[in-house]
Amino acid sequence: MGDFLRRIVDVEHERIDPAAAMEFVADPAFGGFAMFVGRVREQNQGRAVTGVSYDVFEQLALVGFDDIMRRAQEQFGSRLKIYLAHARGRLGIGDVAVVVAVGTPHRDEAFRACRQVIEAVKHGSPIWKQEHYVDGSSEWSEGCSLCESHERDRGPESRHDGHAHG
Amino acid sequence: MKVEVSLFGAFRDHEPGAAVTLEVPAGARVADLRSALAAYGRAHWPGFREGLLLRSAFASQTCVLGEQEALPESGPVVVLPPVGGG
Repeated sequence: MGDFLRRIVDVEHERIDPAAAMEFVADPAFGGFAMFVGRVREQNQGRAVTGVSYDVFEQLALVGFDDIMRRAQEQFGSRLKIYLAHARGRLGIGDVAVVVAVGTPHRDEAFRACRQVIEAVKHGSPIWKQEHYVDGSSEWSEGCSLCESHERDRGPESRHDGHAHG
Repeated sequence: MKVEVSLFGAFRDHEPGAAVTLEVPAGARVADLRSALAAYGRAHWPGFREGLLLRSAFASQTCVLGEQEALPESGPVVVLPPVGGG
C-alpha cells in the first residue's frame, strides 16, 4: 500500500503534522487535494472543555484503517493517495486529533474520498474519547456500537438473537 | 478455561491494569464471555454500567467477533465499548 499511510500518533512523543499529510499525498498527476483536520474544541454540549484524552486499540485500529483505505480505493479508483493519522493520549484545546488527506486527479473524488474516510474512522475505529472539563471532571463520550455495526455488516441472517444492545 | 480480557475506554476506569482474567467453560462463545464479564462487573466494579457492556463488542487482536463465535484459542479478548474517535 505505497499510496496509503496510516498511523496512530502517541502525542507524548510526537504531534500530527497536517503539512506532512499533504506532502505525502502530493503527486504531479494529481490536481485535486482534500484534507480534514480535526482539532479539540473548547466546548461540547454546553460544557467548557479543557482537553481530551484518546484511548486507542492500535492493532485493530490499523487493521481497520487498512480496510477503510482499501474501500476508498475500490470506490474511487486506484489513482489516489491517502494519509490518515489519529492521536493517542491527552490533547489540549486546538491540538490536532486526526488528519485525513487525499490526493486524486480531480477534486470530486478527493472531497468524497476524504469524507468517506473520516466518517468511517469516526464511526468504526476502536478509538475512545474522554473529555476533561473545567470543573475537574471527565467523561467518556457516547459513541457508536461496533457490536451493532458488526452484526449489520454481516447481514440479518447472521445476527444473534436474544441479546439486546441498549 | 481462563480468558484474559483487555479493557479500553470507559472500562479502563474500573481496572488500573486494564485487564481481567475470567473463567469460562471450555468451548465458550463470545456470549458466554459477555455474561461472565457482566457478572464480574456487578461483583467488583462500583458504578458498573451493564448497559454499556451490552453495547460493547468483543474482538481478537485483528477482528471484531460475532456473538456466537467461539473465543480465540490464544491471546487476549478485547472489550470495545462504543467508539468515538475524531
